[in-house]
Amino acid sequence: MNKDYANPEEYGLADLLCCAASREVQDNEIVFAGTGLPMVAIMLAQKTHAPNLKLIFEAGTLDGRPPEIPTSVGDARCEMGASRASGLYDAFSIAQRGYVDLGFLGGAEVDEYGNVNTTVIGDYLEPELRLTGSGGNPDINSFAGRTVFIMVHEKRRFTERVSYITSPGWRVKKWPGGEFVHRRELYGAAYRGGPSAVISTAGVFRFDDESGRIYLDTCHPGKTPQEIREMCRFDLDIARVSGETLPPTREELHFIHEVLDPEQIFIPRVKPPST
Amino acid sequence: MGNNKRITLQQAAEIIRDGSSLTFSGFTIWRRPFAVVFELIRQGRKGLHLIEVNGGPQTEFLVGAGCVDIWESCWVGHELYGKYGANLSRKVGNREIIVEDYSHAEMLFRFAAAASGAPFAVTQTSLGTDIHNPEYDMLGRAGLRDGKRIARHKYQFTEDPFFDAGAQVLIPAAKVDVAVMCVQQVGEEGTVRVSGQYYSDPEAARAADITIVMAEEIVPEEYLRRESDRNTIPGFEVDYILECPFGAHPTGMFGRYDVDGGFLKDFYGRTRTQEGFDDFAREWIFGLDHMGYLEKLGWPRMLSLKANTALNYSTGVKRGQ
Repeated sequence: MNKDYANPEEYGLADLLCCAASREVQDNEIVFAGTGLPMVAIMLAQKTHAPNLKLIFEAGTLDGRPPEIPTSVGDARCEMGASRASGLYDAFSIAQRGYVDLGFLGGAEVDEYGNVNTTVIGDYLEPELRLTGSGGNPDINSFAGRTVFIMVHEKRRFTERVSYITSPGWRVKKWPGGEFVHRRELYGAAYRGGPSAVISTAGVFRFDDESGRIYLDTCHPGKTPQEIREMCRFDLDIARVSGETLPPTREELHFIHEVLDPEQIFIPRVKPPST
Repeated sequence: MGNNKRITLQQAAEIIRDGSSLTFSGFTIWRRPFAVVFELIRQGRKGLHLIEVNGGPQTEFLVGAGCVDIWESCWVGHELYGKYGANLSRKVGNREIIVEDYSHAEMLFRFAAAASGAPFAVTQTSLGTDIHNPEYDMLGRAGLRDGKRIARHKYQFTEDPFFDAGAQVLIPAAKVDVAVMCVQQVGEEGTVRVSGQYYSDPEAARAADITIVMAEEIVPEEYLRRESDRNTIPGFEVDYILECPFGAHPTGMFGRYDVDGGFLKDFYGRTRTQEGFDDFAREWIFGLDHMGYLEKLGWPRMLSLKANTALNYSTGVKRGQ
């Protein structure tokens, strides 16, 4: 069952990203997700293969079971069916204590070690553009067992060194000097893992355990490894490509568009072919 | 006891003087004390130092209006209705504002430290990031670290002396003059009952020297004290109270009304330039009081935002495209 894959004209890129992200979740995990596509992805997992996942939103709802997608993590809809409605102190203490298996995050820039920038574009002291800032991105990425990033793929965003490390990857800066070290060295007792995947609009990327360097795992339908390599400012490892990203199933598309996001808040609907 | 904590909206804004440090209730686009924020802009407040667990539309309005000199926080934007803080971004670019970046958990732990009377908090979050880059201590660069209200250092590193858990970051308590809260209910003596997620409100109220609570309704204390397990903040932590229905608009309030996404989208779209902001402020802030503002919004719009009392959110708002 569950292998009724949709044809290319039946889904859009946002559907593909959402489904790829959803498949990173395992049942019974404690998952911390941010607003937007990450939220749809974990709720999709909850509706399909991971019915026992525990959902934490950083504004303070613990183990919620919202029937429809909240507009943001502070939304009243987050509380539906929750085990407890609390606040940020609970949410971040739970993360620092080590309960969180998986975090789902976004980013504006990522480097070859999974460091993510959501703070500024350009020189920090003379910024070209000030972005939203860290939010909970560094906190979740510091403490979750693994984190998955969902990102728009543009060459300038997949860069050798991000303008500002907002959120720690596998090789991070050791202050006060700022030399790069493996995050294991820095985090000591708090070390639990790090970024495990980047799902971009071009493909799915993973990280080498030891070197911490990113590599291409699957290409989205219609993209070649060479093309994706051209879309990165660093020397992308394409020797470990395992194939094409699996398309959404019709069941997954049903949950996304009929159950979770019928209002098309985060995921636009692709019109079915008129046959 | 009794009603002696009651003040008006105008008085609430007058308590926040030029140069005050200030924080708010709520989370991003939820339960922000907008009626007070608008009144601060009308009164032309200057030199505010915002210290926020996270920013949001209230930050963008105050920054756009030129009320803010310093912003310490971790995030600003309008969620789905505006992807970043365009006014803050513009003023950072023009060097009109000092921004000190921390992570979300760091800001929260800073408030928790202040709320418990401790001078600093200890955490391991954000190790290895540029948040700890010593070059990026912006209050230090501006020569403002006096060791009084503004901490002598942005952070300090130490090793765990007790259990050998490795590198730890010490972050200074968030010392704020005034917290302005926006909640569903407050009692005549100041007891606060927040419904739904309480975000970082308990820490913010306790950390501040002066706490002002603006509520959708002031209710009898006796009513709240019948079920004290449902209350969020004890009355003695609250200095002033005022009643102001729809006081959080355009942000939302659990159980009462939803976020006015259209309003926020319009604000974000029109205030990417200073001229755009000034124009928006002339239309929606200056020359109006709170009742005038609500009249301008109009009943159809307010009723569409009104929450369903069983679901706690509105079924009448159009959220998607």
